[in-house]
Amino acid sequence: MGQAYSTIAFDPAKCDGCGKCMTACASVKFDSTDTTRSLIQIVRSGGARIEPPRPGEFELALCRQCADPKCVTVCPAGALGKNGTTGVIDWDASKCVDCLLCTIGCTYAGIALDEHSGRVSKCDTCEGKPACVPACPTGALRHITTARIYNEVGSWEDLFAPGLAGCQGCNTELLMRHALRRVGPDTVLATPPGCVPGMGSVGFNGTTGTKVPVFHPLLTNTASMLAGVKRQYERVGRKVTAMAIAGDGGASDVGFQSLSGAAERGERILFMVVDNEGYMNTGMQRSSCTPYGAWTSTTPIGAHGRGKTQDAKNLPMIMVNHRCEYVATASTAYMEDLYEKLDKALAASERGFAYLHVYSPCTTGWRFQSALNIEVARKAVESNFVTLWEYTPEAGLHFTRPVDKPLPVADYLKAMGRFRHLSPEQVEHIQNKVAENLRFVRKIAEQADEQ
Amino acid sequence: MNTTTLDTAPTTEKRPAPQLMLCEGNEAAALGVALARPDMVAVYPITPQTSLVEKLAKLIADGRMDADIVDAEGEHSVLSVLQGGALAGARTYTATCGPGLAFMFEPYFRTSGMRLPLVMTIVTRDGITPQSVWGGHQDAMTVREAGWIQMYCETVQEVLDTTVMAFRLAEHHDVMLPVNVCLDGNYLSYGTSRIEMPDQAEVDDFMGHKDVNWHVALDPLRPMAVDPLTGGSGGNGPETFVRYRRGQCAGMKNALHVITEMHEDWARRFGEAHRFAPLVEEYRLDDAEYAIMTLGSMTGAAKDAVDEARAAGEKVGLIKIKTFSPFPVEALQHALRGVRALGVVDRSVNFRWNCGPMFQETLGVLYRLGRQVPAQSFIGGLAGADLTVTTFHRVIDETRALLERAPSDEPVWLNAKD
Repeated sequence: MGQAYSTIAFDPAKCDGCGKCMTACASVKFDSTDTTRSLIQIVRSGGARIEPPRPGEFELALCRQCADPKCVTVCPAGALGKNGTTGVIDWDASKCVDCLLCTIGCTYAGIALDEHSGRVSKCDTCEGKPACVPACPTGALRHITTARIYNEVGSWEDLFAPGLAGCQGCNTELLMRHALRRVGPDTVLATPPGCVPGMGSVGFNGTTGTKVPVFHPLLTNTASMLAGVKRQYERVGRKVTAMAIAGDGGASDVGFQSLSGAAERGERILFMVVDNEGYMNTGMQRSSCTPYGAWTSTTPIGAHGRGKTQDAKNLPMIMVNHRCEYVATASTAYMEDLYEKLDKALAASERGFAYLHVYSPCTTGWRFQSALNIEVARKAVESNFVTLWEYTPEAGLHFTRPVDKPLPVADYLKAMGRFRHLSPEQVEHIQNKVAENLRFVRKIAEQADEQ
Repeated sequence: MNTTTLDTAPTTEKRPAPQLMLCEGNEAAALGVALARPDMVAVYPITPQTSLVEKLAKLIADGRMDADIVDAEGEHSVLSVLQGGALAGARTYTATCGPGLAFMFEPYFRTSGMRLPLVMTIVTRDGITPQSVWGGHQDAMTVREAGWIQMYCETVQEVLDTTVMAFRLAEHHDVMLPVNVCLDGNYLSYGTSRIEMPDQAEVDDFMGHKDVNWHVALDPLRPMAVDPLTGGSGGNGPETFVRYRRGQCAGMKNALHVITEMHEDWARRFGEAHRFAPLVEEYRLDDAEYAIMTLGSMTGAAKDAVDEARAAGEKVGLIKIKTFSPFPVEALQHALRGVRALGVVDRSVNFRWNCGPMFQETLGVLYRLGRQVPAQSFIGGLAGADLTVTTFHRVIDETRALLERAPSDEPVWLNAKD
């Protein structure tokens, strides 16, 4: 797995064009007060010219330290190259023939002619401590590492076999692989009947799809079997993580009793639910997590049928009411958020029951193109159809990615064929339900804030 | 009523003086469990098993038994927790009955397929509906096709002894099957008797090393997939599936001689008070013209009736089945060698054949005898009804009549009003 690196991120909504970043850069790099020499340039967008300028009207000209740098590709002299350690595009003055082709190759105006020296100049991130970032008074510039998943996680062993037989574009495989990388080899993994073993995690006819001990519990007894496993290892003094990757049907319907019982007893289990809102592995039947109005093969559309007639069970909130050691919702569109929660859930599972509810759109069952999976998952969050939060008994419930200006739910619903038949009244019902759900969760979050 | 403790030191070098105590069957089962030193017990209370799990909880709370106790939210989870524990290497135990056994059927069936050496007491209870909390064998009989070994006890002492032996039997490498120790709800569960406690050190020696998950495990030190999908029409799926089933049947078959050897070893170590017929007990059968067949606690009253009939000159004997699953075909064949008429008393119903289940199983053995033996099914003791000496005199009389006339296609309903 290739490396990914830190980057200077720019939020145009926060930039007021003060230019302090340019002043800092010119000073540090050239000992100059001439901001035209700065390697970071904040420029006002074309178009509106109302004074004074407002946030949102500024753009950034700065080397992006691209992963696939066009400046490097076009350089005929080999003077530019991607540094494998820092990720910075290094410029070698001794090789440069001053042809300026790189300035044409770059889309971002990230490398330009410095008229004072007569040669090109570009950002080198000040050896990992860019002077522009602390100079920014509004927080529009941030030096961030978005790359933990790629750099740190990439070096962990993928504990599933290659070639799991998931549907094209399935996010559940993504989730499984990431989650088990994080949890590691000292794990006993339960994958109750559903997509997760269906794609081969427990294997077929004597083979295995997983490098850790893995088993098919019944659809009904995942939490109970794991409780037995974990208790015995605790009894003999061995540290073993007992983890479930279960579907929403097995957790919210027929397996709910054992889930609830294990949570009530505080069994030290990491229980991850992959919520694709139905029994997708067996051909898209309705579960109690299927949302209102959705087509499934058991809530079909016909002269009388208009999809599911009940709202989804809010399983993660039910788990909050078990006062689990940790409860969180997550989405495959927000992997950084998911990773933070996975870390916390893993730690919590050594103290008590840890429950992670991950929304994972189903390309096959929800009827959308397989390339759009992350897009659909993101729209669910952006429309507040899915809310991302975490709960602990000590800190209560907090949103981790609050959405201030949500998309209309209709934008999310339109992304999928399973909602194609919805009447305006049904869409309104869903929009109202989303608002009601949000109010409900917010209320609990506000109570936590007051404490 | 418990007048002694488990861990009193032996009083002699050779064999300690027996510790005598009074206890009910449920308590005897719990004491037997404690002697076998399981790592994990999971419990959910149900009548008439309740006092058994209460006793276990108290033994653990008092520090007289070192086991993890899981108060699960239902029988389905009880068995599931234990399966997980066993896969991680724990010696495991539970008890249930009736509706609880029905509720746990899903993991119950699976236990023998995974070859997990669990031990579970069934404090037998009749099936509902009609609603009933009383004894009867319908629960255990209904699950007899699920691959568990089932042994039925006659006395409180036998409950205690069989419970301990069940753990060694389950873990025997030639067997590796879960074991039910069946004790009759009401009559044995609450019946109080004098028992002799086996010595713990001697029991430890009898048990040997715990060996639970050598063949199948959920252990990061030896990762494997437990229960990958098998079957279908292609690849090696069907063969794999068949290998499992044949293995289960082989384990069942092996259990017959293991049970026999184990009972002999047990009696040798602990004395004659601890000697029980392992598979089939033959009682006053040597010159018997005809015999009655019994299962479980009813046998005591039946033996009294046989004794009285013998005193009156009747050539009647008794055959008691101890091990019902695997069905002791050869041992029963031996017992039936001289019998010319047979009456079989069941405390449950085989709805398909309109007879008792043990009767129906016995028909197969009669076929193997190669001669016609008239046999009659008797069904009694349902829902806690008492089977008395008087009842068994009726059974004896009606069985003797088979020497003269053909048996009825209908069962004789012993506790019926008509």
